[in-house]
Amino acid sequence: MRKSFPADDLARDSRFIRRRIEETVMDPRNGAFRERVEKGEIKAPGRLEPDRPDAPDAARQLMHGIFTGEIQALEGAGRTCWDFEVGDDAPYALKLDMARQCWDEARHTEISMKLNEHMGTEIGEFAEATFLYEAACNPDPVLRLTGVNRALEGLAIDVFNTMRDFGDLSDDPVLEFCEDWMLADEVTHVKMGSDWLRKMTENDPERREQALEFQRIVDKLFSLGGFRGDSEESPIKLARKFREMAGFSEDEIDEISDIADEAMAEATAIGKAATAAAS
Amino acid sequence: MAKVSVQPEEFTFVNYDAKRIIALAEEMAAHAGLGDDVAITIEIDEKSPFGYTTSAVDGPTVTIFAESAAFEDAKNLRELSEEGSRQVLGRLLYRVGDRMDPAFGDPPPDKGLSFEQSSAWNAYAMGRLERAGYFAHKERRRYAFRIRHGFTDVADQVFDRLWASETLTWADIEAACAQTAAVRPERETKGPKSKAKAKAKAKAGK
Amino acid sequence: MADPSKPRAGFAPWDRRELPGIFGVEETARRVGNYRWIEMRLFEVLGGWVATVPELDIKTMLGRHTYQHAWHSELWTKRLPELREMVPEKLTVAPNEAMERFVKELTEPEAPELTIEKMVGVYRVLIPHKIAAYTYHRNGTSRITDGPTIRSLTFALQDEYEDWIEGEMMLQSLIEGPEEVERAARRQVLLESLLVEAGGIAGPGSIGVYPDGHVAPSAGDGGPSQAQEVGA
Repeated sequence: MRKSFPADDLARDSRFIRRRIEETVMDPRNGAFRERVEKGEIKAPGRLEPDRPDAPDAARQLMHGIFTGEIQALEGAGRTCWDFEVGDDAPYALKLDMARQCWDEARHTEISMKLNEHMGTEIGEFAEATFLYEAACNPDPVLRLTGVNRALEGLAIDVFNTMRDFGDLSDDPVLEFCEDWMLADEVTHVKMGSDWLRKMTENDPERREQALEFQRIVDKLFSLGGFRGDSEESPIKLARKFREMAGFSEDEIDEISDIADEAMAEATAIGKAATAAAS
Repeated sequence: MAKVSVQPEEFTFVNYDAKRIIALAEEMAAHAGLGDDVAITIEIDEKSPFGYTTSAVDGPTVTIFAESAAFEDAKNLRELSEEGSRQVLGRLLYRVGDRMDPAFGDPPPDKGLSFEQSSAWNAYAMGRLERAGYFAHKERRRYAFRIRHGFTDVADQVFDRLWASETLTWADIEAACAQTAAVRPERETKGPKSKAKAKAKAKAGK
Repeated sequence: MADPSKPRAGFAPWDRRELPGIFGVEETARRVGNYRWIEMRLFEVLGGWVATVPELDIKTMLGRHTYQHAWHSELWTKRLPELREMVPEKLTVAPNEAMERFVKELTEPEAPELTIEKMVGVYRVLIPHKIAAYTYHRNGTSRITDGPTIRSLTFALQDEYEDWIEGEMMLQSLIEGPEEVERAARRQVLLESLLVEAGGIAGPGSIGVYPDGHVAPSAGDGGPSQAQEVGA
C-alpha cells in the first residue's frame, strides 16, 4: 500500500458522484445572484434557520455535506496513521491521537448516516466534493494536522453549531442531540491540532509560520466563498464561543472572519466573470 | 393534453433542454387531470442557483415560476434531473388541479400560503403522485412537514393521513394544520439563550 | 461478635492463585515488546485501509478497530517500563524476519476491489493468532506477580474477540460465491503460511509449542535462564 493516497483514488460505492469545487465556484449563476443582491433586487437567503422557505432541503443538503465530510475526515486521520513512520516527524503519541480521531470520525459518520435517514436523505443524493480530504494530503505531518485539525475541524465546529441551533429552533430533538455530541468531539480534535502544532514547532518558527500559512489557505478554501463567516449573509456562522473553547484566540478567530470576507469577495468576482462569460 | 411552453426556449446558464421539460410537464399534467383547455407556461429563472417554485392559476391559464435548481440534478451541476423535474412538476400540477376544481375550495395564492399550509398541501399532492407510480421521496417530505408542523406523534399521523388521501378540500388542509398547531411546542425565539433563561427561571422558582 | 484481631490467612480459601508463572520478567518484556510491535503495525494498516475500501460499513468498522489496536499498543507501551525496559522502542520489534515478511504481505493490498483480501489477512489470520498468543500468555503467567500484564491482556482480548466476530461477519457478507471463497482461501493460505513460519506473533513458542516439539514448561520453571533458552 502506498504511503500517500490521492483524493482521486478515494474508494466509494456506486452511489457517490464526485464534484470538483471549481465547478461550484465557476457556476455562472453565482455571479448573477451576487449582482442582484448588490442591486437590492433580491435578498441573500442568510443564516440557515427554520424560517427560511428552503430550510428543510437546505438542511438536508448541508447534512449530506457533513456526512461526506466525516467520511473524508476519517480517511484523512486513517492515512496519517499509515503514511508516516514513527519518528521525530510523527511521534508515536501523534499517531495515537490520529487513531483516536479515526474512532471519533467513524462514529460521526455513523451518526450522520442516521441523521440522513431521519431527514429523508439518501446516501449519495448529493454530489461529493473532496477538498476536505485534499487538505489532509499534505506530505508534512505538521501542515497536515494544522490543515485538518485546525481548519477542517474548525469548520466542523461552525457547521455543527449552526445545525445544533437549527435543531433547537425547529424542535428537532434528534438533530440537536446528535450535533451537540459531535461538537464535543470536534473541540477535542481542534485542541489536538493546536497542541501538536505548538509542540512540533517549538524550536522551528519557520515551520510554524508555514503551518499557519497553510491553515490560512485552507481556512479561505473552507469559507466556501462566504458560505461560512461572520456576515449575516453567511448560512454558516463562525462559532466564536466553541472556537475559543477549542483554543483559538480572539485574534485568530477575527483573522478567520477576515479571510471569510476575502473569500466572499473573491468568489463574487469569479462568479461575475463566469456570469459574463455565459451571458 | 394540456398545452405547455417553457421560457426561455434556449438556456445558457444551465444545460437544460426546454423540449424535454415540456414533455415532462405534459406527462405530469395528464396525471394531475389537466385537460386540453389548460395552457401552462413554465418560467425558469436560469440565473438563480436556488430552487424556489410557485404557481398561479387564472382561469385555464397556469404560470409556473421556478428557479433553476428546482429541476437540477443534485449530483451533476447545471444538468436537468428528469426524476426531480417530475417530482416538482407533479407536485405543482396536482396543486394546480386542486385549484381548478371548484369542489376543492378557495385557497390563497401560493405566495399567500403559510409554510404549514404549503407543506400540508405538498403532502397531499405527493401522496397522489406516489400512487400514480412515481418516486415521491416520502421521508424527505415527512421531514419537511415536521420542520413546519413539529416533531410530534400528531404531526406524523396528520402527515400520513394527508399522504394517503385522494379527495381532500382546502378546508381539510386547514383543519390538518390546526390539528398539528394545537400540539406544537411554542417556537417564538427559542434558542440556546432562551433555553438558558428558561432554566435559570425554573431554578429560581425552586 | 467478630474479633478484628483474629488472624486470617493471607489468601481467601477460594483464591487458588499459585506461584510461579511460566514467564520471568525478561521473557514477559520480550513478548510485550512483540505485542506492541504488531499492535502498532495493525492499527497503522487499518487506518490506511479506510480510504481504500468502498464499503461504507467496513470503512467505519476499520475506523473503530484502528483505535482499539492503537490503544492496545498504548497498554503495552505503559507496561514495558514496569518490566525494567525504560526504552520501549528497544523491545518494540518483530520477533523475527519472517514476521516482518508477514506484515509486509498483510499490508500489501490497496485496490478497492481487494476488500476480501484485506479482511482475511486481519480477521482470519492475524487476529486469531493474537487471540491464541494473548490467551496462552494470560493463562500461563503468574496471577500473583504479573497482575498488570494479565489485566492488559484481558482488556485487549475483549476487543480482539469482538473485532474477530465483527470482521468475520463482514467477511461472510462479502463472500457471495465460489470465486470469493477461492480468493479468501488463497489469501488465508498465503498469510497463514508466513505466520506459521514466524512461529506466531511472539515468534516460536507464541502459544507454548516449539519447533523442536517440546512444550512450554509447566508452572514452576519460568525464571530468566529458562526464558533465554525457550526464547532463543
